[in-house]
Amino acid sequence: MSQQTLADKVGVTRQTIFAIEKDKYSPSLEVAFKISNVFKTPLEDVFTYE
Amino acid sequence: MDISYKEKGLIASLGVTLLIFGWYLYGAFSNLSLNPEPPGFIEIIILIILVVVLESIIHSFVALKNKSQLEDERDKLIEKISYRYSYWFLSACIWFLMVQILLDARFDNHLMLTTPYGMFHFLLLFFVLSEVIHFGTQLYYYRKGV
Repeated sequence: MSQQTLADKVGVTRQTIFAIEKDKYSPSLEVAFKISNVFKTPLEDVFTYE
Repeated sequence: MDISYKEKGLIASLGVTLLIFGWYLYGAFSNLSLNPEPPGFIEIIILIILVVVLESIIHSFVALKNKSQLEDERDKLIEKISYRYSYWFLSACIWFLMVQILLDARFDNHLMLTTPYGMFHFLLLFFVLSEVIHFGTQLYYYRKGV
Protein backbone atom coordinates (compact mmCIF):
# COMPACT_ATOMS: atom_id res chain seq x y z
CA MET A 1 0.00 0.00 0.00
CA SER A 2 1.33 3.44 -0.90
CA GLN A 3 1.83 6.19 1.65
CA GLN A 4 -0.76 8.32 -0.15
CA THR A 5 -3.39 5.52 -0.05
CA LEU A 6 -2.80 4.99 3.66
CA ALA A 7 -2.86 8.75 4.29
CA ASP A 8 -6.19 9.08 2.45
CA LYS A 9 -7.71 6.19 4.41
CA VAL A 10 -6.52 7.56 7.76
CA GLY A 11 -7.28 11.22 6.97
CA VAL A 12 -3.80 12.68 7.33
CA THR A 13 -1.23 13.99 4.87
CA ARG A 14 1.27 11.74 3.12
CA GLN A 15 4.04 13.68 4.89
CA THR A 16 2.60 12.64 8.27
CA ILE A 17 2.68 8.96 7.27
CA PHE A 18 6.27 9.49 6.10
CA ALA A 19 7.15 11.17 9.44
CA ILE A 20 5.58 8.28 11.41
CA GLU A 21 7.56 5.74 9.36
CA LYS A 22 10.79 7.67 9.92
CA ASP A 23 10.09 7.92 13.67
CA LYS A 24 9.84 11.71 13.44
CA TYR A 25 6.28 11.94 14.71
CA SER A 26 4.30 10.02 17.32
CA PRO A 27 0.67 9.95 16.16
CA SER A 28 -2.32 10.44 18.42
CA LEU A 29 -4.17 7.38 19.66
CA GLU A 30 -6.96 8.12 17.16
CA VAL A 31 -4.60 8.04 14.17
CA ALA A 32 -2.73 5.03 15.57
CA PHE A 33 -6.00 3.07 15.85
CA LYS A 34 -7.07 4.16 12.37
CA ILE A 35 -3.76 2.88 10.92
CA SER A 36 -4.09 -0.45 12.72
CA ASN A 37 -7.71 -0.70 11.49
CA VAL A 38 -6.57 -0.15 7.90
CA PHE A 39 -4.11 -3.06 8.23
CA LYS A 40 -6.67 -5.07 10.26
CA THR A 41 -4.03 -5.89 12.85
CA PRO A 42 -3.81 -5.14 16.60
CA LEU A 43 -2.31 -1.79 17.58
CA GLU A 44 0.70 -3.38 19.29
CA ASP A 45 1.66 -5.14 16.03
CA VAL A 46 1.87 -1.82 14.21
CA PHE A 47 3.35 0.38 16.94
CA THR A 48 5.89 -0.40 19.64
CA TYR A 49 6.99 1.78 22.52
CA GLU A 50 10.74 2.31 22.78
CA MET B 1 13.94 16.72 -0.71
CA ASP B 2 10.21 16.11 -0.14
CA ILE B 3 8.58 19.45 0.71
CA SER B 4 4.95 19.43 1.82
CA TYR B 5 2.24 21.88 0.86
CA LYS B 6 2.45 23.46 4.32
CA GLU B 7 6.22 23.88 4.08
CA LYS B 8 5.94 25.57 0.67
CA GLY B 9 3.41 28.00 2.12
CA LEU B 10 5.66 28.68 5.11
CA ILE B 11 8.70 29.31 2.92
CA ALA B 12 6.63 31.74 0.84
CA SER B 13 5.33 33.57 3.94
CA LEU B 14 8.80 33.74 5.44
CA GLY B 15 10.28 35.02 2.19
CA VAL B 16 7.61 37.69 1.67
CA THR B 17 7.82 38.85 5.31
CA LEU B 18 11.61 39.05 5.26
CA LEU B 19 11.74 40.72 1.88
CA ILE B 20 9.13 43.43 2.35
CA PHE B 21 9.43 44.20 6.06
CA GLY B 22 13.20 43.65 5.92
CA TRP B 23 13.49 46.20 3.13
CA TYR B 24 11.27 48.68 5.00
CA LEU B 25 12.99 48.20 8.38
CA TYR B 26 16.45 48.40 6.84
CA GLY B 27 15.54 51.81 5.39
CA ALA B 28 13.90 52.92 8.62
CA PHE B 29 16.79 51.90 10.91
CA SER B 30 19.46 53.36 8.68
CA ASN B 31 17.66 56.75 8.86
CA LEU B 32 16.48 56.47 12.46
CA SER B 33 18.76 59.15 13.93
CA LEU B 34 18.80 61.31 10.80
CA ASN B 35 15.08 61.39 10.20
CA PRO B 36 13.20 61.44 13.53
CA GLU B 37 9.77 61.82 11.96
CA PRO B 38 6.85 59.45 12.41
CA PRO B 39 6.29 57.09 9.48
CA GLY B 40 3.57 57.84 6.99
CA PHE B 41 0.31 56.09 7.83
CA ILE B 42 -0.43 55.41 4.16
CA GLU B 43 3.08 53.97 3.72
CA ILE B 44 2.51 51.40 6.49
CA ILE B 45 -0.97 50.48 5.23
CA ILE B 46 0.41 49.94 1.70
CA LEU B 47 3.21 47.79 3.15
CA ILE B 48 0.78 45.56 5.09
CA ILE B 49 -1.60 45.26 2.11
CA LEU B 50 1.36 44.34 -0.12
CA VAL B 51 2.43 41.55 2.28
CA VAL B 52 -1.14 40.19 2.60
CA VAL B 53 -1.77 40.28 -1.18
CA LEU B 54 1.59 38.67 -2.05
CA GLU B 55 1.14 35.94 0.57
CA SER B 56 -2.43 35.25 -0.64
CA ILE B 57 -1.29 34.97 -4.27
CA ILE B 58 1.55 32.57 -3.40
CA HIS B 59 -0.67 30.51 -1.05
CA SER B 60 -3.40 30.24 -3.72
CA PHE B 61 -0.83 29.16 -6.29
CA VAL B 62 0.61 26.52 -3.93
CA ALA B 63 -2.92 25.34 -2.98
CA LEU B 64 -3.90 24.97 -6.65
CA LYS B 65 -0.98 22.65 -7.24
CA ASN B 66 -1.72 20.59 -4.11
CA LYS B 67 -5.51 20.20 -4.16
CA SER B 68 -5.56 16.92 -2.24
CA GLN B 69 -3.58 18.22 0.74
CA LEU B 70 -5.30 18.94 4.02
CA GLU B 71 -4.22 20.09 7.45
CA ASP B 72 -3.86 17.27 9.97
CA GLU B 73 -2.98 16.84 13.65
CA ARG B 74 0.79 17.05 13.00
CA ASP B 75 0.39 20.42 11.26
CA LYS B 76 -1.72 21.73 14.15
CA LEU B 77 0.79 20.48 16.75
CA ILE B 78 3.74 22.08 14.94
CA GLU B 79 1.81 25.34 14.60
CA LYS B 80 0.98 25.30 18.32
CA ILE B 81 4.63 24.75 19.29
CA SER B 82 5.80 27.55 17.00
CA TYR B 83 3.20 29.96 18.40
CA ARG B 84 4.61 29.27 21.87
CA TYR B 85 8.11 30.32 20.80
CA SER B 86 6.93 33.46 19.01
CA TYR B 87 4.70 34.36 21.97
CA TRP B 88 7.59 34.17 24.45
CA PHE B 89 9.85 36.16 22.15
CA LEU B 90 7.26 38.88 21.61
CA SER B 91 6.46 39.03 25.36
CA ALA B 92 10.16 39.45 26.19
CA CYS B 93 10.48 42.23 23.60
CA ILE B 94 7.40 44.07 24.89
CA TRP B 95 8.75 43.87 28.46
CA PHE B 96 12.09 45.17 27.20
CA LEU B 97 10.37 48.17 25.60
CA MET B 98 8.28 48.82 28.72
CA VAL B 99 11.40 48.85 30.91
CA GLN B 100 13.10 51.18 28.44
CA ILE B 101 10.16 53.60 28.61
CA LEU B 102 10.22 53.52 32.44
CA LEU B 103 13.98 54.09 32.55
CA ASP B 104 13.62 56.87 30.06
CA ALA B 105 10.97 58.59 32.18
CA ARG B 106 12.85 58.00 35.44
CA PHE B 107 16.29 59.24 34.36
CA ASP B 108 15.07 61.73 31.77
CA ASN B 109 17.12 60.08 29.08
CA HIS B 110 15.80 60.49 25.58
CA LEU B 111 17.03 57.41 23.91
CA MET B 112 16.41 56.83 20.24
CA LEU B 113 14.42 53.76 21.23
CA THR B 114 11.75 55.64 23.17
CA THR B 115 10.99 58.40 20.70
CA PRO B 116 7.61 57.78 19.00
CA TYR B 117 9.36 57.10 15.70
CA GLY B 118 11.93 54.77 17.26
CA MET B 119 9.35 52.95 19.38
CA PHE B 120 7.09 52.38 16.40
CA HIS B 121 9.91 50.83 14.40
CA PHE B 122 11.17 48.71 17.29
CA LEU B 123 7.63 47.42 17.84
CA LEU B 124 7.33 46.67 14.13
CA LEU B 125 10.74 44.95 14.22
CA PHE B 126 9.66 42.79 17.20
CA PHE B 127 6.39 41.81 15.48
CA VAL B 128 8.24 40.92 12.28
CA LEU B 129 10.87 38.93 14.22
CA SER B 130 8.17 37.04 16.11
CA GLU B 131 6.53 36.19 12.75
CA VAL B 132 9.91 35.02 11.45
CA ILE B 133 10.28 32.82 14.57
CA HIS B 134 6.74 31.53 14.00
CA PHE B 135 7.51 30.50 10.40
CA GLY B 136 11.10 29.43 11.11
CA THR B 137 10.29 27.10 14.02
CA GLN B 138 7.52 25.48 11.97
CA LEU B 139 9.97 24.78 9.14
CA TYR B 140 12.47 23.46 11.68
CA TYR B 141 9.97 21.05 13.26
CA TYR B 142 8.73 19.87 9.86
CA ARG B 143 12.32 18.86 9.05
CA LYS B 144 13.47 17.67 12.50
CA GLY B 145 10.24 15.97 13.53
CA VAL B 146 8.06 16.51 16.57
